[in-house]
Amino acid sequence: MYTLSGVTKTYAKRGSTVVAVQDVDLAIADGEWLAIQGRTGSGKTTLLQLLGAMQRPDRGVVSLGGRDLARLPEAELTRVRANAIGFVFQTFNLIPTLSALENVEAALVPQRLPAGEMRARAAAALDSVGLADRAHHLPSELSGGQQQRAGIARALAKQPKVLLADEPTGNLDTTTRDEIISLLETLWRERGLTLVLVTHDAAIADRAQRVAAMKDGRLSAALTPEER
Amino acid sequence: MSVTSQSRTRAGSTNRFYVTYLRRELGRRRRQALFVAAGLAVGVGLVVTVTAATTGVSNAEGAVLHSLYGVGTDLSVTKAKPNPGNPSHPSTSGLSGRGPSFSPGSKPQPVDEIAPVPGLSWLPASAVTRAARLHDVAAAAGGLTLTDTHFTVPSVKQLGPGGQPPASASPVTFTVDGVDLTRLGLGPFASARLISGHGFAATDADADVAVVDSGYAAAQRLHVGSAIRVEFQQFRVIGIVSQPPASAVDVYIPLARAQALAKNSVMSPYDGMTGSDMVTNVYVAAATAADVPAVQAELTRLLPSATVTSSATLASQVTGSVRSAATLVADLGRWLAVGVLIAAFAVASLLTVAAVTRRYREIGTLKALGWPSRRVIAQIMGESLVTGVIGAIVGVALGFGGAAIVAAVAPRLSATVAQSPGSAPPENVTGSGGALHESYGAGSFRTVAVHMGGPVTVAAIALAVALALAGALIAGLLGSWRASRMQPAAAMATVE
Repeated sequence: MYTLSGVTKTYAKRGSTVVAVQDVDLAIADGEWLAIQGRTGSGKTTLLQLLGAMQRPDRGVVSLGGRDLARLPEAELTRVRANAIGFVFQTFNLIPTLSALENVEAALVPQRLPAGEMRARAAAALDSVGLADRAHHLPSELSGGQQQRAGIARALAKQPKVLLADEPTGNLDTTTRDEIISLLETLWRERGLTLVLVTHDAAIADRAQRVAAMKDGRLSAALTPEER
Repeated sequence: MSVTSQSRTRAGSTNRFYVTYLRRELGRRRRQALFVAAGLAVGVGLVVTVTAATTGVSNAEGAVLHSLYGVGTDLSVTKAKPNPGNPSHPSTSGLSGRGPSFSPGSKPQPVDEIAPVPGLSWLPASAVTRAARLHDVAAAAGGLTLTDTHFTVPSVKQLGPGGQPPASASPVTFTVDGVDLTRLGLGPFASARLISGHGFAATDADADVAVVDSGYAAAQRLHVGSAIRVEFQQFRVIGIVSQPPASAVDVYIPLARAQALAKNSVMSPYDGMTGSDMVTNVYVAAATAADVPAVQAELTRLLPSATVTSSATLASQVTGSVRSAATLVADLGRWLAVGVLIAAFAVASLLTVAAVTRRYREIGTLKALGWPSRRVIAQIMGESLVTGVIGAIVGVALGFGGAAIVAAVAPRLSATVAQSPGSAPPENVTGSGGALHESYGAGSFRTVAVHMGGPVTVAAIALAVALALAGALIAGLLGSWRASRMQPAAAMATVE
């Protein structure tokens, strides 16, 4: 699914240059669950955003399905985000003025589906995460776990090939964390998704098929839990 | 389902989401949206009010101008009186000085004489025909404006000490205008509005009929059917008209009858013309408004000794508070409206940019979901547009209110127009050397009162609404442009 080669991303900050991702090589197979573990500031979120076509690398190749995301025109990149990639955010990033159902529909707007189909898919996505009874609630009326479920439903509604989750349990308590990770695992198995999950929690990372460690922008080789 | 109906259905779902999101977002920042709308409304209201005031002043000026030469007249040709030293014209020198003298006899002597309005001279009637034939002239008509002065020369016994005449010898004057019945749309009669009786018919060309100004009729206790006397000739009143305030004519009679009276007056002949050949005004209508300057130049070449006056020329001669009001509205009023609008635009832009900046994370999320930049821009501009529409609607209502206040509290304006040079009727009759003498003023200006309304025109409303919407769209564009160009990751990294 993904092939990264020599990927580097830097930021300018107060006159100096911060290297967020440095010479990363990585291959992710179709249907694989990869966890990227690292401490805060290690560059794992930046790497995930490069995988999600949310920014372009300064150097290197980010290939998704044989297409180099770094070289695609902006319009094409937008289409990739709209159709092929689902993203789950640490802070949920739900639109506060829209209900859970409408937040899920927001992800389907770029696909310009007929009204009935849009609503049906959004409802089905919410149902798959166990949030059907909260469809018309605003984010402010949902718990943290429920908001993250809505975020997952939003990511899945577009039926992506890839699901990218950036610290999906970072703002949740332990019990809810386990529920969310279990949900992601279930959806990964049922739908054959390629799942890339970023976390600082080793316990969560160990549930993945492979784990790669990120430190100071550099990525170690991805190893299975047994190999580690 | 056909491809077309599929497209419509897809568009419908997108529109539904668009409206839902727009409505919710405006509801979330209701106070700010109303503040921006209020700012635009004040600017719009001011534009409508100032435009209404400008139109009102312009209408007031137009009423003054139309009352002088008529609604349909673009140009007027007159001829000034020659040098008062000319002994052939003792009684209408056009300049201050003495008129004719009358010797009291044993009995009172009624005097009723007509003359051109002082300062005006004759033009040949053929000037009308020649003017009508000019290129770009739609029509031309002649007019003969006369003053009728009557008083009674007292008998010797009635004279006071030093030969001073009694008060009853003071002259009574009214203005008579001969109307070209073949061109009733030209000249001052065109601005008259019939309020009783009827107007002239084509068959009245040689009839002794008159149409009288309502103010003059009231003063002289005239009504339809009354008889009035012009230079000892009896005329029957067939109609009474209401005229604009600046109109100087008291009595209208057919042009041919006025020319006949002039022929018989002491003023004829003049320069070889008899009364039937004479007019004092030629009223000309150009084919189009754009032709007026060219026609004015042609008339000047055709009649080099005459004065050709257009509405623009006449407008520059109008003084008084109506002119001051016009200047005030045009200068101060317009700049005030423009200033307030610019301030409203600036506030709307700043608030919209601030609101969008607070939504960078949200916008970044939408872009991460695959929303194209144009979709993001459309969403934000839609919110701004709704604010602009609200501002426009409220602003138009404010404008109507402002215009009504202007009309209600505006002071009564006055307009002073210079009439023909030396155009004073006989001011006084004095006695000396055993004779009575008429004397004339050096030139008169006519000051009339005009009401300034505050009409709101469709064009003003359209302009104000367009300005409000443009301001809102500019604000939306400024706010959304930068956000839409940011990479999703950069937008989401913004700290709220």
